[in-house]
Amino acid sequence: MVEVMDEIKKSYVKLLLNNGERADKRGFFDYRTIESNKGAIQTSDGSAWVKIGDTQVIASVKFDVVTPFSDRPEEGVLSTSAELLPMASPTFEPGPPSEEAIELARVVDRAIRSAEIIDMKGLFIEPEKVYGIYIDLYVLDYDGNYMDAASLAAMAALRNAKVPAYRDGTLVRDGTEKPLELKGDALEFTFVKIGGHILLDPSLDEEHSADARLTIGICGDKICSMQKNGRGALKRYEVEKMVDVSLQKYNEMKKHL
Amino acid sequence: MRRIVFPGELLSDKRITSRGIYVENGKSYAALIGFYDDEKEVFIPLEGAYEPNVGDLLIGIVSDVKPNGYVIEVGLPSDTFMSARDFREPLGMGEIIVAKVKSVSETRSISLADPAVLKGGNIIKISSVKIPRVIGKKGSMLSQIKDATKSKIIVGKNGWIWIKGGNEYLATKAILKIEKEAHTSGLTDKIGEFLKNNENGDEHVGQ
Amino acid sequence: MSGNENIKLIVDGKRLDGRELDEMRPLKITAGLLNKADGSALVEWGGNKILAAVYGPVECFPRHESNPYKAKLSCRYLMSPFASKDEHGRAGPNRRSIELSMVLGKALENVVMLEKYPRAMIEVFIEVLQASGGTRCASLVAASVALANAGIPMKDLPVAVAAGKIDGKVCLDCSKDEDNFGQADVPIALAPRNNDILLLQMDGLMTKDEFFKALDYIEKSAPEIHRLEVEALRKAYEETDAQ
Repeated sequence: MVEVMDEIKKSYVKLLLNNGERADKRGFFDYRTIESNKGAIQTSDGSAWVKIGDTQVIASVKFDVVTPFSDRPEEGVLSTSAELLPMASPTFEPGPPSEEAIELARVVDRAIRSAEIIDMKGLFIEPEKVYGIYIDLYVLDYDGNYMDAASLAAMAALRNAKVPAYRDGTLVRDGTEKPLELKGDALEFTFVKIGGHILLDPSLDEEHSADARLTIGICGDKICSMQKNGRGALKRYEVEKMVDVSLQKYNEMKKHL
Repeated sequence: MRRIVFPGELLSDKRITSRGIYVENGKSYAALIGFYDDEKEVFIPLEGAYEPNVGDLLIGIVSDVKPNGYVIEVGLPSDTFMSARDFREPLGMGEIIVAKVKSVSETRSISLADPAVLKGGNIIKISSVKIPRVIGKKGSMLSQIKDATKSKIIVGKNGWIWIKGGNEYLATKAILKIEKEAHTSGLTDKIGEFLKNNENGDEHVGQ
Repeated sequence: MSGNENIKLIVDGKRLDGRELDEMRPLKITAGLLNKADGSALVEWGGNKILAAVYGPVECFPRHESNPYKAKLSCRYLMSPFASKDEHGRAGPNRRSIELSMVLGKALENVVMLEKYPRAMIEVFIEVLQASGGTRCASLVAASVALANAGIPMKDLPVAVAAGKIDGKVCLDCSKDEDNFGQADVPIALAPRNNDILLLQMDGLMTKDEFFKALDYIEKSAPEIHRLEVEALRKAYEETDAQ
């Protein structure tokens, strides 16, 4: 049933785009209003509650003492999970993470990991003990493009994170925590292609109408991740345009960190 | 004087029959958030799902095509069915119709009659309890939106509104504004002003 | 309920956070903060932060559970992995959250007029973002406001708060630390219109007198919780009024 409504929205979205318009009158490379509230969760070591339009995502960063991977015994462990909460949309079902939730977690994780902004070696404690960084992404309200909201929230939560000291076998949260050192900011920019038009920050109706989607991770002046989704194909010049816009938008997005 | 009331609030020591009111031991209490007028004994809900009544005009979409007719979705928990005989021409998936509620069963399933097919256009969904405000007194609100936007608009009691042509963006914005501010007074004037200020304006949103 | 003798939780008749025995922690409720859900509420209570959202009436799922006489109320309470100051928890349901989901759902079923929507389903989703003692009562308050915000017909706006026993004294609305070292915990939900008891659990050791003193404290605080619920709902409309 949802699919049928999507078809109506799809023809409406296409009709508007052919007149050079989006339903909310935004420019094709404009974001909706962005808000970011750092430190929204006090039980986390770092957190942020981000809104892009009506889409809302919470990111939490929490540290734990974990055993390192055997092939990287002197490096910390980064672990990212995402939940598409059933409260966020009538189409999200309760239960174990869907493939979309797993994709979201992996795409956000990949940008942060590839950008090498966290000094993983600096998270070594002692043999067999390293810091684990858990990033949890909670999509609370879904009106399209949870990817960029989650990426911004994750980065803002990392910027907000304080590392608890390791003392006598446990982590101590007593005010002696130190800010997590970061060597840059990895942020993601999501585009959709609808009938030859390229749009940044798709709304839900636009996502449903999309032939293809591309998420581009940027760190400084470099690309740090990419993820194409959707059945449609992209042309080389379209990808180039999307990369250019992402690089342009990067500094603007950083202001929300 | 009308006052805003909340579920469980005592409205009257008498028995009042109305949507959003329940009676216990002869007294009437609110079951929904809404406005209650003590003198007129009228309750207007501010929130609530669509409750079908015979004669209601609804907007629906064809969500499945069967050998002998169509499954029509109208936003109720269960879909309804219309025979192919009710239509002059065969319908396809996703076609938009407007039809009247012919009957409502004990378990709240409905049957529809007198359908007309609406070609093209867009559907917006608002809370059904706000529909009376979108229509306005004697249709005044709706006609001022139609006049200002030159859009074709058909309002379904189920909260689904079909819009086609003209300044669809402005018509949609105006209707969503009515939904948001349905509980405020002087709404017809406010919307009139809103339509006037935005008629030609391309207000820029986003960043 | 370890009942640790070495930690003093009440000094000079006051609790460690300065509260009187029958004093609640500060409670803040925000209604309607989510857009996609039909109704929502955020409850910030002491160190708790709990989000509830409601969808409905919708088609019943699974279909064989649809009832021709009334709607099914499905309630899901979940704790986030970052809800505690301590280590990162596990996502997803566990035995505790499954039990609490059921107990909360049954309490809400008493006031929700399910017979209005035969064969349909009303879904209540509760996410504990931060936990600091008394999450089930805070969850019930959040669900209650979210249901009203969703326009689901209800006979009352239920309220809930726990009382406990610490250092041998009955106390209202125990914090997490008090809970950990206390001797008993009694979470109760009431319908404020008639003080009907909708949820009642008890854990620990209490005399009959202590139990009813706990109930006295809870009944005494119910009107204030109810007032804050109503104010949150009222504010959700006033804010749009001002725009």
